Amino acid sequence: MEAFVEGFHTVLQPANIFWIVIGGFLGTIVGMLPGLGPATAVAVLIPVTFGMNPTSALILMGAIYYGAMYGGSRSSILLNTPGDGSAIAATFDGYPMAQQGRAGEALAISTVASFIGGILAAIGFIFLAEPLASFALKFGPAEYFLLMLLTLSAIVSLSIGKMVKGFIAMCLGLLISTIGIDAQTGVHRFTMDIPHLSEGIEFLIVIIGVYAVGEVFYNFLTIDKDSMKEKKKVSRIWFTKEDWKRSKWPIIRNAPLGFIVGVLPGAGGSIASMMSYSTEKQLSKKPEEFGNGAVEGLAAPESSNNAASVGAMIPLLTMGIPGSGTTAVMLGALIMLGIRPGPMLFENDPGMVWTFINSMFIGNIALIIINILLVGLLIKILDTPAKVLYPIIIILAFIGTYTLSYSTVDYFMLLLFGVIGLFMKIMDFPIAPLVLAIIVGGDMEQNFRMALTASNGSFGIFFDSAISITLIIVTVLSLFYPLLIKLLRKKQKDEEKGISA
Amino acid sequence: MKKLSLFVLSAALFLSACSSSSSSSDGGAEYPSKNIEIVAPASPGGGWDLTARSVQKILRDNKLVDSNINVINKPGGGGEVGWNYLHPKDSHYLAVNSSLLLTNNLLGQSKLTHEDFTPLATLATEWQSIAVPVDSPYETINDLLEAIKEDPKSIKIGVGPGLGNDDHLSFVQAAAMKEVNPKDLNFLVYDGGGGDVVTALLGKHVDVITTSLSETKEQHLAGKLKILAVSSEERLEELEDVPTLTEEGIDMVFPHWRGIMGPPDMTEEEINYWDEKLSEMAATDEWKELLENNDWDDFYQTSADTKKFMEEQEQLYSELIDDSGLVE
Repeated sequence: MEAFVEGFHTVLQPANIFWIVIGGFLGTIVGMLPGLGPATAVAVLIPVTFGMNPTSALILMGAIYYGAMYGGSRSSILLNTPGDGSAIAATFDGYPMAQQGRAGEALAISTVASFIGGILAAIGFIFLAEPLASFALKFGPAEYFLLMLLTLSAIVSLSIGKMVKGFIAMCLGLLISTIGIDAQTGVHRFTMDIPHLSEGIEFLIVIIGVYAVGEVFYNFLTIDKDSMKEKKKVSRIWFTKEDWKRSKWPIIRNAPLGFIVGVLPGAGGSIASMMSYSTEKQLSKKPEEFGNGAVEGLAAPESSNNAASVGAMIPLLTMGIPGSGTTAVMLGALIMLGIRPGPMLFENDPGMVWTFINSMFIGNIALIIINILLVGLLIKILDTPAKVLYPIIIILAFIGTYTLSYSTVDYFMLLLFGVIGLFMKIMDFPIAPLVLAIIVGGDMEQNFRMALTASNGSFGIFFDSAISITLIIVTVLSLFYPLLIKLLRKKQKDEEKGISA
Repeated sequence: MKKLSLFVLSAALFLSACSSSSSSSDGGAEYPSKNIEIVAPASPGGGWDLTARSVQKILRDNKLVDSNINVINKPGGGGEVGWNYLHPKDSHYLAVNSSLLLTNNLLGQSKLTHEDFTPLATLATEWQSIAVPVDSPYETINDLLEAIKEDPKSIKIGVGPGLGNDDHLSFVQAAAMKEVNPKDLNFLVYDGGGGDVVTALLGKHVDVITTSLSETKEQHLAGKLKILAVSSEERLEELEDVPTLTEEGIDMVFPHWRGIMGPPDMTEEEINYWDEKLSEMAATDEWKELLENNDWDDFYQTSADTKKFMEEQEQLYSELIDDSGLVE
């Protein structure tokens, strides 16, 4: 408790507040821009942190990380182009809301959802860091494989009415994810002797390509027709009471879900937000509104991915193990400053850890203010004429791509995925299964094979632990739930008919 | 938003302008005559990047080199993309390297090897560690290798992020020295690298891991796992309770070194220039502090020694890779 209060005092030093605000603002911006993510932002800032005291550096980097979660959904909502994997779910209902002239509400509610998710997770951090870190250790290859399987089956089952198309998109994604050196055997797969391909295809290029570039291509095709359509005026920049009533519980119950998934090393934010979306859709009394601008379909994943970004700090700070790309870069930066996060950190340097935890409260408060203020400014993007807006998006997409590995080879990849995205839009294929499959595909395969190597080829390992069995049950449920509901509804209708007849 | 994107744009343009101001030719007698570019063949944050940035920082802070020094990240292909980038450049470009420069070639994944560049120095080394859970039945490395000899499939060995690296080959060498056929070893490859294998060991998903010491040291000190042996010549500071492989009767020292090199055909003057500057750098207190922060050891060798060292290492790695069965 003493350490907690002391940490609070440290956070309230003007210099630290300054870094929190800077970090939060930077994070929001890089989160918004396609391709530029928190990992890049933290990496670019490494030379800046050289001169800083380690605690301020950690606070700054943390603020960038969760700030990016706030920013990520901005471009998802306004332009249908997520800034990062964890913002994909925000396109499902956020973009339809914007199209219906409810962009202001969408931006506001997602900010509030992010805030609540972040705060709840920070409280969770205080009480649950240690037990959750040891829970995460129970996840072996089999459990990881099943978790990713659950994510993929959830996303395919989300594309109701287009389930076959969703499945095809997912398979294409899994195929793409096999490109690169196979870790288990060292064999080069589908690399065509291009050294650049040996690391596999960076999923952010796919996101920028199919979403941002694909969206621009698509709008280019329909630009003349579009101008005939009357633009809906954005009337408000705050959400309604009705919106809040619908979102309140989804926001609160998905924070713990995201938090726990975030603690697991891997694609935390992307998996967390996708699982939250599918959970809410299945719990909802009006699942047909999901995908057409259901406000809770936007709020739930936003709460969840913010909580996940806080959760991801747990393995870094308690075990010195980075759980995501961004935390890996943070680890490198901290080591250069002479801090080695790990099991000894809480004992050796409790002041720093508590200062950081407290900074998350202040940071989230700063971020909700920054982002609410930005709403009025951001909705102006929708009034920007297409001939100005789309070239800017293309420029940003290319810059973002270049920063991923400083290579021009990626430009060709970007355009290729832009064209794939265009065709998927024309033929009405859901895009999210493709992208998610590329994000988790490589790890999923590797974990599957490791599980089987570990068990000497016996499939029993997938039914070995309570976690595995729970994951299997949830997977089966998520696949058959939509069918079940349909059957139940039909029965209900039949009965109603029977009564009225 | 428009103002904002303008700002971002101009910032990006400015940055790229800074890093590409290297167009002047190097005809003058004075070396270096323009900016020095150090290629880190990896993304920011990893070991190569830290090495490049440390060299940059210390040369700059101590005003050892008059020219500006920039670090360029060229990740991909286990260093290959960065080294390919360096190969045709002039002598103002340098790149960080490690044993992957040799093994990529030996494994048939790259045409380039150490002979295609000018070695300038070996800078630092990490040591390898072999670790087991705290309550493991194996008290020493010999217990473990005995058990592997009896039933190789029963012991799961965690390694990452792929096969053919120092983590993998150091274990292969140790096993071969105890007459265990390395082809029988049961490796589980965690493609996330060092952090992942430690997590796997703490969660008891593998029986033993082989990884660089920086990944295991803190965990060992905190009593979360047990390091059976380190690959250094002598016992290490803070780890006085951990024996070296040599002490355990396995006669090998296995450094996980990092060095720096230039493009092919650098002149003698240029090589001498770097011998002088880099040896000065390696003697500074800041460099020593950086080494300590990273759990690295000083491993400075001059350009001539490094050349000889590379040849010896190539011989060793070629034998290890044959033993491991990675190349048919």
